[in-house]
Amino acid sequence: MSTPARKRLMRDFKRLQQDPPAGISGAPYDNNIMLWNAVIFGPDDTPWDGGTFKLTLQFSEDYPNKPPTVRFISRMFHPNIYADGSICLDILQNQWSPIYDVAAILTSIQSLLCDPNPNSPANSEAARLFSENKREYNRKVREIVEQSWTAD
Amino acid sequence: MQNHDEIPVEPETESTAFNMDFEADDDWSNYKDSDVMQQQSAIFEQDAAKFPFVGDKEPLSSLEAEYESGSPILLQKIKVLGKEFGAIRRTRGDGNCFFRSFMFSYLEHILESQDQAEVERVKTNVEKCRKTLQDLGYADFTFEDFFSLFLEQLESVLQGNDASISHDELVLRSRDQSVSDYVVMFFRFVTSGEIRKRSEFFEPFILGLSNTTVEQFCKTSVEPMGEESDHVHITALCDALGVAIRVVYLDRSSCDKDGGVSVNHHDFVPTPSDGATAGTVCDLDLFGWVQTAKQEGE
Repeated sequence: MSTPARKRLMRDFKRLQQDPPAGISGAPYDNNIMLWNAVIFGPDDTPWDGGTFKLTLQFSEDYPNKPPTVRFISRMFHPNIYADGSICLDILQNQWSPIYDVAAILTSIQSLLCDPNPNSPANSEAARLFSENKREYNRKVREIVEQSWTAD
Repeated sequence: MQNHDEIPVEPETESTAFNMDFEADDDWSNYKDSDVMQQQSAIFEQDAAKFPFVGDKEPLSSLEAEYESGSPILLQKIKVLGKEFGAIRRTRGDGNCFFRSFMFSYLEHILESQDQAEVERVKTNVEKCRKTLQDLGYADFTFEDFFSLFLEQLESVLQGNDASISHDELVLRSRDQSVSDYVVMFFRFVTSGEIRKRSEFFEPFILGLSNTTVEQFCKTSVEPMGEESDHVHITALCDALGVAIRVVYLDRSSCDKDGGVSVNHHDFVPTPSDGATAGTVCDLDLFGWVQTAKQEGE
């Protein structure tokens, strides 16, 4: 069945294949255009360097008028990521606009990794360490990076 | 534009009280963003059940009844408006009310006037807006669906072809979320494109309004659904489409004119830029943003 949401997602996918931004990849499940798997690579020369973080994006028929539900599958340690992997990011909530496609969503999440907003913490421990003890924060991030290689 | 006393003072806003029982051990950290979002959308749904996007025609007396115990100057102004307007329609106050009112009023105007030349003129301006977005680096596929849906509505109010619709159907479509939201987004794209294209012109007004950059303003206050419109949005949309807009303010300011009360209004008249054709259609009237008025003798 072809709906506006599905048609739009096909175009999102085409764009992501033809013109993939650095350090991200994503694709719908074989038989379900509404559910995507994605990987974000930790940006070079940051504590996140080398990490491969998996996410899922669940779209509804309201897309692109409503944002998808995006969630990390890989374990994360970040001020704006909850224990269950959901992400506190304005463009995925009240600042959403259909202007963002999947590539733009993943790029925004990638830049959130190195540029957290400790003022709206989803993980208060990570937010505290980020502001008070950068060394310990970075050590925890490295642990998460290493875990990202072994987790299935 | 800088005329601050024309910024509408929300008339007698009755604050909607949401009964939230706070328990002593209720801790905000127990609530996640998704919970807050969910609650917010539940509140919107409650509202949605109560008010359609665009309401039925109501006599001005229904507005009068509402303000009966309110400020006498509002009642006087409603009487004055009654001489000029036969009826009002209310729109849902969900942050998109300006765009939804504009959609309905404009399409209704075309449906009633069957003004082919006006449709051609606006279509030319819509193509210019498309070009603006392309020049600004927007990917076509992020906005083309919204453009084609608006153009479809524009075609359909012209009578005499298979896709033509009646006035009743226009009302239904204006209340159908899948149509209305797409048209609202079309206007948001057009508005954002116009502001970005003429960022030098808009910058001082944006600074006065929100103290952010033009880029940030478009990203946070124009492009997302549900962000309310202010004079910057209206000016940009009016210029981009070349459609004049009149906003009537139902506020408590005294507007004595020759001893009698008059209702202040602001006319947004398009400035023709780089040869954009400017029309003279002026048919949108808002009271305090949430009500559209219908000109008498339709």
